[in-house]
Amino acid sequence: MNSEFVNKWTSQVKKGTLTFIVLNILKGHEYYGYDLIEQVKKYTEIEIAEGTLYPLLNRLKKENLVTSKWVEQETGIPRKYYTLTNIGNNTLSEMKIYWKKMEESIKKIQK
Amino acid sequence: MKRIDFKNTSAQKIYNDYFKRIERCSTVLSKEDRTDLIMEFNSHIYEGLQKNTAKDELEGLLNILENLGMPEEVLKPLIADKKLRQATKTFNPKHVFQAIKLNIKNGIVFGVFGLLYLFLFSTIFLFIAKIVLPNNTGLFYSNNEFQSFGFVRDYKGYNEVLGIWFIPLVLISTIILYLTITLLLRIWRKK
Repeated sequence: MNSEFVNKWTSQVKKGTLTFIVLNILKGHEYYGYDLIEQVKKYTEIEIAEGTLYPLLNRLKKENLVTSKWVEQETGIPRKYYTLTNIGNNTLSEMKIYWKKMEESIKKIQK
Repeated sequence: MKRIDFKNTSAQKIYNDYFKRIERCSTVLSKEDRTDLIMEFNSHIYEGLQKNTAKDELEGLLNILENLGMPEEVLKPLIADKKLRQATKTFNPKHVFQAIKLNIKNGIVFGVFGLLYLFLFSTIFLFIAKIVLPNNTGLFYSNNEFQSFGFVRDYKGYNEVLGIWFIPLVLISTIILYLTITLLLRIWRKK
């Protein structure tokens, strides 16, 4: 086995699916950054530099898929909460359809 | 923005230093975006510390920062993307230049390798040229002054000094150049 190749491939797959994972987690829920990362870690084995999630969230915001708001806390350090927009919800539905097709094709292809 | 106060002075120093790094590598952002970014990282560290399972403040902070990653690395896509948007929106040459600098790093690397390969092909060309047109190819002197190395269209009055030795010289240069480029490419790819 070429483990270097497998590692590179795995990291590409992880990078490619992170957006899909984040959108799925945000569906029907509101999360602030740290909490969202905890969720990603809970459901997947993705080991990413956690800081990279913030640029990703920013990009999703620019694409109008998520929206965010600062919520003041008693501690004096506010949290920035993220939610899916309507566009985000519809986009996710479309992505799910593609994912399903992909999953079926891969199942068929595997011997 | 409310900063986090640490009891441990080393932790405080590390925390302050981390934010200095964020500030330093986010200077290209607008003031508003920059404040937002710093607040978000501050919030992340604060929430992390609340759930800290490490034995002390310092270790907890170090774990959080390690998981977050280096600001210089982590913020790269965010800053490059923001700058590109700013540049396409404003037409300001300063923004455009910064955006190109941030986004085209890979482009430049490939450009440099492209040039090196072009250079490699030109040495191969010289090798063939010396066989086909030996009088036009070589190291040329005129009145004891260096004139040209390579291929010349008009060699009248020029004195070619290398003769047949031109071929092994070019061949060796080609091999060295090829090995160097491949080695450089390997180092860059592994990075």
